[in-house]
Amino acid sequence: MVSRRLTRRRVLAGAGAAGLALGGLTRRVRAAGAAPITIVINQSPWFDSFRKTVDLYQKESGNKVNLDVNPFAGSLEKQRSSVRANEGQFDLLIMNSGWFAEMYFGGFVTPINEIDAGFKLDPDVYTLDGSVYFDAEKKVMAPSGKLMSVPIAPLIPLLYYRGDLYKGAGLKPADTFAALEDNAKKLNHPPGIYGIVQRGARGTSSVSYDFYPYLFGFGGDVFKDRKSGDYTIRLNDDAGHIALDYYLRLAKEAGHPKTASLDQAEVIQNMVTGKAAHVMMVVSAWSQMDDPNKSAVVDKVEFAPTPHAPGLPPGPGLGHWLAGVAHNVPDDRKHAAVDFLKWYQTKDAQLANAKNGGIPISAAVYKDPISQERRFRWMPAMVESLPHAVNIFQFPQSAEVIAILDVGLNRAVAGEITAVDALNGMAGQIHDVMAKYGYKTGSLPLK
Amino acid sequence: MRRTGLSHILLILAAAIVCVPVIWIVAAGFRTQISLMMGQVWFSPVLGNFAEVLFSSTSDFLENYRNSLVVGVASTALCLVVATLAAWSLYRMRWPRWVVHGFLGWALVFHMIPPIALAGAWYTLARSVGLGNTLLSLVLAHAVLNLPMSIWLMGVFVRDVPLELEEAARLDGASTPVLLRRIVLPLVAPGLAAAAVLSFVFSWNEFAVALNLTVKATATVPVAIAKFAQDYEIRYTEMAASAALSILPALVLLLIAQRFIVRGLTQGAIK
Amino acid sequence: MSARLGDDRVWRWVTLSPALLAMLALSVLPLANLFATSFLHVTWAQGHAVRSLVGVANYAALPADPLFRAGLVNTVVFAVAAVGAEMVLGFFLAVLCGRVGRGRIAYRTIFILPILVPGIVIGAIWKLMYNYDFGLINQIVGLAGVMPQDWLGSPETALLSVIVVDIWHWTPFCFLLCLAGLESLPQDVYEAARIDGASFRQELRYVTLPLMWPTLTVTLAFRLMVAFKVFDEVYLLTGGGPGTSTEVLSFTIFRRFFIEDRAGYGAAMSVAVIFLVCGLLVVALANRRRVVTTV
Repeated sequence: MVSRRLTRRRVLAGAGAAGLALGGLTRRVRAAGAAPITIVINQSPWFDSFRKTVDLYQKESGNKVNLDVNPFAGSLEKQRSSVRANEGQFDLLIMNSGWFAEMYFGGFVTPINEIDAGFKLDPDVYTLDGSVYFDAEKKVMAPSGKLMSVPIAPLIPLLYYRGDLYKGAGLKPADTFAALEDNAKKLNHPPGIYGIVQRGARGTSSVSYDFYPYLFGFGGDVFKDRKSGDYTIRLNDDAGHIALDYYLRLAKEAGHPKTASLDQAEVIQNMVTGKAAHVMMVVSAWSQMDDPNKSAVVDKVEFAPTPHAPGLPPGPGLGHWLAGVAHNVPDDRKHAAVDFLKWYQTKDAQLANAKNGGIPISAAVYKDPISQERRFRWMPAMVESLPHAVNIFQFPQSAEVIAILDVGLNRAVAGEITAVDALNGMAGQIHDVMAKYGYKTGSLPLK
Repeated sequence: MRRTGLSHILLILAAAIVCVPVIWIVAAGFRTQISLMMGQVWFSPVLGNFAEVLFSSTSDFLENYRNSLVVGVASTALCLVVATLAAWSLYRMRWPRWVVHGFLGWALVFHMIPPIALAGAWYTLARSVGLGNTLLSLVLAHAVLNLPMSIWLMGVFVRDVPLELEEAARLDGASTPVLLRRIVLPLVAPGLAAAAVLSFVFSWNEFAVALNLTVKATATVPVAIAKFAQDYEIRYTEMAASAALSILPALVLLLIAQRFIVRGLTQGAIK
Repeated sequence: MSARLGDDRVWRWVTLSPALLAMLALSVLPLANLFATSFLHVTWAQGHAVRSLVGVANYAALPADPLFRAGLVNTVVFAVAAVGAEMVLGFFLAVLCGRVGRGRIAYRTIFILPILVPGIVIGAIWKLMYNYDFGLINQIVGLAGVMPQDWLGSPETALLSVIVVDIWHWTPFCFLLCLAGLESLPQDVYEAARIDGASFRQELRYVTLPLMWPTLTVTLAFRLMVAFKVFDEVYLLTGGGPGTSTEVLSFTIFRRFFIEDRAGYGAAMSVAVIFLVCGLLVVALANRRRVVTTV
């Protein structure tokens, strides 16, 4: 066992530091500088900015950070394998909105204050619907719980629209769903230009993710009260029906004829090739819009919060990334990981992150003068949206619920089933899943 | 003559269908993303994708390439040695029938299991013996994945080695290692060539297991290529450029060794 | 002689044990583990696994799982249609290729190309070729005046489109094996047939096909086994959609096992599929042996 540890450490710490493996030396090492850490992350359009920001940290602090970059497909499996082993190989996990609940519930990330009692989340850092906290007793994510993670990329959808077409047609930016529908219909000239292109495909989280801003923006929800752990299904209430009817009507009257088969990549393709007047898309796709190698609409795309019904706030669903410290790594590396997070949440680090092309996690950056620059024209929309971001799933079995939503919504978009049948069917199946895992749940009377 | 002409026309048509997507991949490597997406037929070639893949600071493609070569060559060599010995043992060492059938039957079952169902278990195993994230763990995994096919193929060739030759060598006092090296090895060489190419190509293209058993420093080419398919951006042109580069070594190998593969498969498929 | 036997006893272990050990460690153990897991329900708390025995509940839930049912049907349709087409096309092309003298090596080299392209790239490139708005295929059928089709997005064409990709990928493999088989056939039989005045069609029917039967069955068995494992193509092309029209078994396993992290249920599904394929294989092999003895 001792020799095995030796080998592993030697690999991680470099041959020269092999002596580290002998216990008791950790304190001396910390005095000489933080232990080298390994961050597990996946390749993405914002990875390059994160890498540059990490480089800056290494330069400023003199600490060593290894980045293990994986394809998006499979990065969850790699994190699972590591946190379930006796000793983890990854110190800091970059967790997606799809799986951080699994890491919280499973006890795979150590609460940050158990590593460093003095750590405080910078008040300017967005807590993203409380998703950085976890109350293990009540099994909810709220400030009453412990701080489990620090946001890395606060990704939410925004409404992308073609500013040049708006100007040409004399339109005003759409803030409500009614206005979006009007504008999309006016700009809909198929097959040259579609009023809006929606992501209607079935994937691991495709059409469901596209639908959340509609559902929440109309005041609907999948569950009655996530914050208190009441998972009674209200997907098929009035607001849910209004939202799905609207979504389908938009697709039919101002959308792409093949909405049911469009996934994120196709939606973006439609936007960058100039075939879409509107899309609702995760903010980090902005960088492609202005890259002449990738886009035929450079400088023509504007950004707004996702629309909402009158009197309600926008309801962008979180597709964010959080960083948590793995539970099964040595203390010196846990401390070193927290040291990195301390630095990452500062305004200066986040300004650098933004300039590198990342999406900042700190309100301080969005208040900074750089938010007025043309290339950062999505920042005002983010400031408006982020306080209303919705942390959709707060339990580890979310993948099963998302799969139900993706199939049901996809079939409704494809016209295989009616909106009423889709909503009732999905509500019933989701209820069964929640009941199977022993959550407090219930159903609405069917219509 | 007219018949041959018709055959040529049909074959050329089939060859065109086979080639078009491959040419398209290579051509896409020379395009800009937006030109590809706009469906433009004519484009002015750019080298940016190849430069990005080969020389950008975020890309480890050359390292991935080296890893793939190491894993491909080492796992193939290991697999061939183990498979040839096993095939010879099974067919020539008077094992009880149930051993032979049991072993080959199990190999067949193993061959049918989606590798993805085993990747997690292999990861745990590799780490518990101190081989976590090493190239060696992937070499072992690929060697084992190729074992059923190689044993099957080598079995065909081993059975073809005339028994009289082996007996004669024994009478001359040859020990088993000498017999294997002097008599068996030269006679199964064509089979080795065929099995080698198939194992190498498999290892070169394998993704699911490689993803689970490697980290950044040990990642292979398919893992690197998969990184271009990101959650909300598929970098088609860079993916195409790296795909074009990834086809090269296997292509060279096949052009050189084509004769052996075909001969090997001939024996394998009709016995 | 007895010394030789002793030598043999040692050497037969020496020669088989590397393969035996490798198989034991890397296939028997993980599979035994998979089998054991299939009777459990696994959750995680405080960083440790919590396993509870659920008996055969995981297996009992299989028949009612809509994805599993769709996966089973689609996999069978996929395997039969794709492999059938590949065998026919591969054999046909091999016969054609066998008849031309010049250029045979060139054709053979070209036909090897698709086998060399990583599955992950094949998926991505065909997805782009099938693209509704600007894909190559709609451009080509547009030349013939056909309206653009949403190949991967309509339930009617999605599975067919995936099958076409598989045919492109694997027909060359069948072709190579068939060609190899053809080239090894004894030429004197053909000469005899020609002396008897057999037409090309008669030659094919009464000489080539019977002689090729063993090659064809081996090729078929091999392709069927791989077709049942189909994953990369579906994963990248359609993700099982639209609806469940391209859901295949290994994708369902992947979804239940990995995405939804239901280790027990996913293991039960894997084991069930393995038994299913084994059953098919036994039938196929029994058939093959009979064929071989009659030929």
